[in-house]
Amino acid sequence: MDLFLQQVLNGLMIGSTYAVVALGFSLVFSVMRVVNMAHPEFFMAGAFGAFLTITYVTKNVLGVLVGGMAVALAVGLVVERVAIRPVRGRYVMIPFIATSGVGITLQHGAERLFGSDPVLVPPVMPSVSYSLGPLSVTRMQLVTLGIAAVLMLALRYYVRNTKWGRATRAVAERPDVAAAFGVDVDFVSRLTVGISALMAGAAGVTIGLLYTSAWAFMGLLFGLKSFVCMLVAGNRHIEGVMVIGLLLGVLEALVSGYVTSTLRDAVAFGVLVVVLVFKPKGLFGSYDV
Amino acid sequence: MLLKVAGLEVAYGPVPAVAGVGLEVPEGDIRAILGANGAGKSSTIKAILGLVKARAGTIEFQDRPIQGMPTHRIHQLGIAWVPEGRQLFSTLTVHENLEMGAFARGKAAELPAKLDEVFTLFPRLKERRAQVAGSLSGGEQQMLAIARALMAEPRLLLMDEPSLGLAPKVVQRLFEQIQEINARGLSILMVEQNARQALKIARYAYLLEVGRVVGAGPSRELEASESVKRVYLGG
Repeated sequence: MDLFLQQVLNGLMIGSTYAVVALGFSLVFSVMRVVNMAHPEFFMAGAFGAFLTITYVTKNVLGVLVGGMAVALAVGLVVERVAIRPVRGRYVMIPFIATSGVGITLQHGAERLFGSDPVLVPPVMPSVSYSLGPLSVTRMQLVTLGIAAVLMLALRYYVRNTKWGRATRAVAERPDVAAAFGVDVDFVSRLTVGISALMAGAAGVTIGLLYTSAWAFMGLLFGLKSFVCMLVAGNRHIEGVMVIGLLLGVLEALVSGYVTSTLRDAVAFGVLVVVLVFKPKGLFGSYDV
Repeated sequence: MLLKVAGLEVAYGPVPAVAGVGLEVPEGDIRAILGANGAGKSSTIKAILGLVKARAGTIEFQDRPIQGMPTHRIHQLGIAWVPEGRQLFSTLTVHENLEMGAFARGKAAELPAKLDEVFTLFPRLKERRAQVAGSLSGGEQQMLAIARALMAEPRLLLMDEPSLGLAPKVVQRLFEQIQEINARGLSILMVEQNARQALKIARYAYLLEVGRVVGAGPSRELEASESVKRVYLGG
């Protein structure tokens, strides 16, 4: 029982990060009908941003977080300008291919800059563990969960309760009508990709710190799993994507704990196959492309 | 002149939709564009809004050229749109749709007063304000589409087929409301297939056929003309 609870707890930590990355994926897809294949690279940029900030600027956790998010945001705005805005509204495969190309360029650019081996992201916090009865949780894990929770709640508030969040939903449904009521759709595009990049960047920072490393191709598996979360959840509800992200993390942790960690990565894709066979539009809602 | 369109041409690829349309809307007037399906009525409206590109011609709003401007800027000058088929934000609530109508107006403090105003005109919307727009009836959706545009406090209202798909009784009421809105001083340019109704409330109308203006005049005269009766009013 203790192993079970411990693994659930560990799973929630990683799962919250999947959810944060998946939400950005989902946001850009639902608002702009663009499957942003460069999205995982925002995550990678966040981890390298953390590395750079720690190396050259500060070891303060908040500072590192801001630094990583800023690097991811910069990368995000470039991707929006070159591979999303010019092809927005076209057949879905066109932005898919454009963003894939930019994504691959970013991976190899990072490999060129930082080498193909992982770089060490030095710890910025003393490795303290807290015990909750039989369970133990590190401070870094708590910080990861805390950051993810804040980001998810902030996104939900933004989309539901703010003027620009409302405009974003309007653009998602009818870009022409939104424009005819004074919404600058290009600005919403920048805003949306920017927010998705900030979130993925923050996730990259926490994963970089948790694993104490960053590498050029770290976005691949992590990004693919977040993509799976979005597909399994469907893009209709923010909450749905959150729940699936957390569940995937827990499921993986349980497989690692009880079966073998080599099977861990197979879980996400296995679940995807099963869900898509029975619920091709995702568990909570549909994709209208 | 509030709105002046001259020599407007619009084409979708090689297919011309509008081939030299000219029209004017003076301040405070209510004018109609009549014509069959595919006559280029909607394309004219969309060109004014900057949603489709004008291939040739000029569009002036308050004596200022607006062709080539981005749609959101054209709206900010004071042109609001009631699109064909309502085109509400159907996943947003009635209230949120109205807030979107006032998006460009900026001042949140004036919102409640404006809301009261449109609720006086369309009391039904007040009852439905928390519902998502997609759940409204056809007539209510049309009210909301108009109310949303009024929230922008425009100088010119472009209405595309407001009567489309509505029951005759609802249409009657709707046209009365449009007249009332105009009587409060708002200029209106309306596209309609329902020529009989449109000529009743418009003071002046343009007849469009395959992308060209083939006739124009005060509604009274058009109503009396034999050819108009035959083509647009069904005998």
